[in-house]
Amino acid sequence: MAEYWGINVEDIFNSMKDRFRPEGATDVTASFGYDIREEGKWKVSVFHGTLAAVEKIDNLSGCVATMVTDGETFVGVNTGTVDATNAFMGGKVKVEGDMGAFGRTGRMFRKYVPPRKEMSTRDYLVDMFGTVESRFKKDAARDLDFIITIEVSGDAGGVWSVIIKNQSCTVVNDRVDNPTVTLEVADKDWVDLTLGKTDAQTLLAAGRGSVRGDIAIAMKWGEIFEKYVDPMGGGEPEQELLVLKKTISVGQKFSTGPIMGKFLNGLKAKKILANKCPKCGRMQLPAREICADCRVRVTDFVEVGPKGQVRYMEYVYYASPDPLTGETRETPYGMVNILLDGCTGNDTFAHLIRRDQIDLIKNGRDDTPGTRVRPVWNEKRVGSIFDIQHFEIDE
Amino acid sequence: MGKRVAICAVAQVKNVPAYRQMRFQNMLLECFESIMEQTKVTFDLDKGIRNIVTCSDDVFDARTISNNGVTDVVGAHFRGEEKMAQESINGLGYAMASILSGHDDVILFMGHCKESQTESRRMCTNLAFDPFYCRPLGMDFQNVDALQARAYMEKSKVTDEHLATIVVRSRKNASRDPFARENRLVDEKEVMNSPMLADPIRQLHYYPVTDWAYGMLLCCEERVKEFTANPVWITGYGSCMDSYFIGDKDLASNFSLKNAAQRTFARAGIRDPRKDIQLFELCDHAAYQLPLWAEGIGIADESKGGAWIDEGGPDSYNVNLSGGQLNGNPLLLGGAARAIECFLQLRGEAGKRQVKGAKRALAHGTYGAAGQHQAVVIMEI
Repeated sequence: MAEYWGINVEDIFNSMKDRFRPEGATDVTASFGYDIREEGKWKVSVFHGTLAAVEKIDNLSGCVATMVTDGETFVGVNTGTVDATNAFMGGKVKVEGDMGAFGRTGRMFRKYVPPRKEMSTRDYLVDMFGTVESRFKKDAARDLDFIITIEVSGDAGGVWSVIIKNQSCTVVNDRVDNPTVTLEVADKDWVDLTLGKTDAQTLLAAGRGSVRGDIAIAMKWGEIFEKYVDPMGGGEPEQELLVLKKTISVGQKFSTGPIMGKFLNGLKAKKILANKCPKCGRMQLPAREICADCRVRVTDFVEVGPKGQVRYMEYVYYASPDPLTGETRETPYGMVNILLDGCTGNDTFAHLIRRDQIDLIKNGRDDTPGTRVRPVWNEKRVGSIFDIQHFEIDE
Repeated sequence: MGKRVAICAVAQVKNVPAYRQMRFQNMLLECFESIMEQTKVTFDLDKGIRNIVTCSDDVFDARTISNNGVTDVVGAHFRGEEKMAQESINGLGYAMASILSGHDDVILFMGHCKESQTESRRMCTNLAFDPFYCRPLGMDFQNVDALQARAYMEKSKVTDEHLATIVVRSRKNASRDPFARENRLVDEKEVMNSPMLADPIRQLHYYPVTDWAYGMLLCCEERVKEFTANPVWITGYGSCMDSYFIGDKDLASNFSLKNAAQRTFARAGIRDPRKDIQLFELCDHAAYQLPLWAEGIGIADESKGGAWIDEGGPDSYNVNLSGGQLNGNPLLLGGAARAIECFLQLRGEAGKRQVKGAKRALAHGTYGAAGQHQAVVIMEI
């Protein structure tokens, strides 16, 4: 199984039990499918707010919704490496089935945090002395030539000598002749001291360690070496950013009014109704109450099209979820403005073009006709702009 | 006193609970055509309307840059158009400034709000608060009003009985205004038995959800005769913005309204509002606000709001003869509604509620939690 950022898809599913948040699953009884390309399929079942099963399975039937994506995106989204909204908008993540129900899974699980490998005291000591040379501050050691030997007792211990000469630093894993100062300390205490969990005075006062030789040199350690950074995430704490994620939702009812209402009702009857300005003759699509140019009411309707020629087309590469339903569309998709038969100038009608025909569409201009297209009507029409599924080339 | 700006004409649709057959564009169009008809103004780039000021609210409209969708029905195509997103009365201040600066001679000022469109005005006004602190606590204009109401009523000895008389009077007055929302007349007992929304505010103490749109034509003094023989003059406008967070202010102090009123009075040369102004329209979207704002503009004594009601203050000072906002205007448009009532009164066109001999009127608008922003306009003939 492929690894992404050191994590594989199975790690995410195997940890779901530990990451489950019952408070995010109140009243949920449903199965959710995950179809991860080239990795496999998983079914996650929640029963009355408890996590009933996480199973790797061939058949995802019975799931209220299924997430379809690739392994890299799945791991990325779960670990926060990939922005979930962008992945969704860009079509890298798709949800089949009940989008709203699937949305609840986001609250059901804590974020996946990859387990850390523990560092032993020995690992720390090796890393701490291994980084001394790189942490050496040359400018802080001007006119300072000395040798510090550190005798570390305990199972993980050893002897290290740090030699400072002519503003350069060498570390050897042994004793050397004539050290300027020798420190004796237990392995765990040296690790704690370096990580800042304790300090030299406390250790010495407690009799846990000794100094032989020039103690003043030993005290300069903090000045001539950069602070050790704990590879396990210690060191300087990162600034914590508090972000409140909230979806703002206020229900709305939009009246169509008589003009927009007539236009939408026309679609129900497979008719595209423009309204025609009594003064300038401009056709308005969608129909509006007033001609903005002439500032007069526009009450006359004229049936136009339904065929016409494409004036403008664009490729859209993001899925553009419908704000009301959360539904997405296949990408890329083609949005078109069509000059319907019976319309002139810029009186164009906006809609979508059949996806497999995007590459075949040519924009028209005043002197050049664009590709001829016709609407594909839905069987069930309700008075909405999607009573037309899309337009397609009129062959 | 400086130059004056004239309101030449006003137009409005009737205030109703919900215009189900119209979208807000239809509502505005009615007002637009009425203004054109009354004034014969044109959109000629030299002599006509070059700039339009509109007032609307993105959240109530559920449309960002809510003005963009109405430009055709306010005649703004190929003209300048700017939106007042603050309470509508400030649009008068904006139009006035455009004209006094010499930038424009004529301004069309239009506004709309279809409060019935939204599922909950409380959810809309909850969005006026910050997302981290006040919003999660559930604050909206209504329950924050209750904080103010309780503090003010205690300070000025205003009782539940007083509030009931304010509601009864408002509905009675509004029944004389053909453009007012048609509300059932009620008695004090019914008001006092209406359910509590947020103590001490009862359901009948709060303005009802309303749809409304209006238009006004404003013009410089030099050209007023081209558009009307009976102008109403704006002689003063002042506003004041108080703190955003409730904890930063004394809710019962009227600090910002007193400031707004004083700034306006200074502009209009008013020394004593009780003597110099014959008519007051106050933006009381909740009953307790009538005496509170009356104290703020100086027609009720400080901390004596309760006694002012007992003594018949609202009638003796001709306050809210239209029924006030309490009877029902969209929250955002209360100030424009007040100004339109003042206009009709000063022109002698207020029908059954006409005040005889009124020469000078005060219109007030407020928006934001517990009257954060306050504005006052003085109108004269």
